[in-house]
Amino acid sequence: MIAIEHLTKRYRKTVAVDDLDLVIQPGVVTGFLGPNGSGKSTTMRVIMGLDRPTRGRATVNGRTYHDLRDPLREVGALLEAKAINPGRSARNHLRALAASNKIPFSRVDEVLEFVGLTSVATKRVGTFSLGMGQRLGIAAALLGDPGILLFDEPVNGLDPEGIRWIRDLFRSLALEGRTVFVSSHLMSEMAVTADQIIVIGKGHLITQGSVGDLTAAAKGSVVVRGNDRERLERVLSAGGATVEVANDDALRVGGLTAEAVGQLAFDHGVVLFELTPERASLEEVYMALTSGSVEYGSGAS
Amino acid sequence: MSAHPTLASVIRSEWIKFRSVRSSILGVAITFVLTIGIGAIITASIRTHWTSHPEAHIGFDPVTTSLGGTLFAQFAVGVIGALIVTSEYSTGSIRATLAATPRRVEVALAKLAVLVVSLVLVSEAAVLITFLMGQAIYSGVVPTASLSNSSVLRAVLFGGLYLTLLGVVGMALGWLLRQSAACISVFTSLILVLPIVTFLLPSSWQNAISRFEPSTLGQSMESVSPPAHAFSAGTALLVLSLYAVVLMVAAVTVLTRRDA
Repeated sequence: MIAIEHLTKRYRKTVAVDDLDLVIQPGVVTGFLGPNGSGKSTTMRVIMGLDRPTRGRATVNGRTYHDLRDPLREVGALLEAKAINPGRSARNHLRALAASNKIPFSRVDEVLEFVGLTSVATKRVGTFSLGMGQRLGIAAALLGDPGILLFDEPVNGLDPEGIRWIRDLFRSLALEGRTVFVSSHLMSEMAVTADQIIVIGKGHLITQGSVGDLTAAAKGSVVVRGNDRERLERVLSAGGATVEVANDDALRVGGLTAEAVGQLAFDHGVVLFELTPERASLEEVYMALTSGSVEYGSGAS
Repeated sequence: MSAHPTLASVIRSEWIKFRSVRSSILGVAITFVLTIGIGAIITASIRTHWTSHPEAHIGFDPVTTSLGGTLFAQFAVGVIGALIVTSEYSTGSIRATLAATPRRVEVALAKLAVLVVSLVLVSEAAVLITFLMGQAIYSGVVPTASLSNSSVLRAVLFGGLYLTLLGVVGMALGWLLRQSAACISVFTSLILVLPIVTFLLPSSWQNAISRFEPSTLGQSMESVSPPAHAFSAGTALLVLSLYAVVLMVAAVTVLTRRDA
């Protein structure tokens, strides 16, 4: 379990994380979402004891990272792809990490086998593709067989096969009862990977819950098409709905259920050809939630 | 199983890192080649011109001259020390290192131990070989020195310690500056530019200041009798060690305070 309590991190004048409270539970994949610059990586670096919090604290299994006796055996992390000396071989990189935590070298060959890098174990990391570098980073995270795993933007640079592989990996790690904490700026990725989702923006918690909770909480809309668009528009607006013209003479109605729209149409003698409730996709929910907290927005959105 | 990472296991980790990159192997090889190669060139040149330059016989020191290659090798050891640290910052692997060993003092001590042991072995071997080679080149023409003389043995062994301590200075600069280029500039300034600046000062100031410069400390350490206005060999070793210790303490302070 990872607990973050009143965490604030300030770099000179920029506030990267502002009074954040989070609990990340074991046994599920928790997606950590937010636009670029929202404080995801900072939060992960504070959890790993790499950056010192300005206020508050982050604990893993009830202790701060600094107090862990065998950090790699409790927490594994992939924070940056290919943050490895390019002149060192994959095996030597992992052996150096293993030695520092008294992990037997046989485990190094095990994790290399597991991520599919055995054939290039003695090759210099500088010759690796980004995808191979990610796999090596994952091997390093798994080295100490830790109960808590952190992955910062893990799918970057992976091919579709690799993305599938890593999703299955997260799932099986969570099924084994581990805490799996995965950051991403892509909701579409998290929608298929995570069980629980935490959304932050500008260092603040925006929302959290299961994937189902988040989509259910989102207000859906109703697409309606009838024989008299103008009248339909008028009565729906009068009924308190927000109405916009969709394509093909259809109207997109917000704020009313499909039943209410049908009833209003019937009451005012409009013949309906189509009445379709639409649920917002998780992607749309995310865009709506974070629209106010995009650090470098495109202006058009 | 007791899995508490002790300093010994962190040292083992750092040793794997040190020997598994080309830059360390290359650095050690360059230290060797510079010390011995330049020593051979200097001593052979002195032998050739010995009889035609009687004025050079006054105050001639067969030990210092045979160790002349250390003037060049000192840059190689500085770079070795700095790179052990700065390569971790330039590649980002410092985060993996500090995640594996969150007690940062232990990381600094382990890197220091690996550097000092490696450099003591390499530097002492290099100065002994270059000394013996130099005396062999001198023999028959130029006066020679022998290791059976305790001051000669001290001068040779201190030559190795001089290189080792400069490696430590390079490593401390690595922690403080985090960038290879910045380290090399500062290191070169300390060794080469500082003497030039003092040379421009009035001579009374020169005499007072220059003895504290790393290069002058090296001359004291590597000669049988120290140059004028310089510290004795023992004091010079102490002063240089003090520099290394002060810089390492500053380095560890910065390391434990700053974000990685």
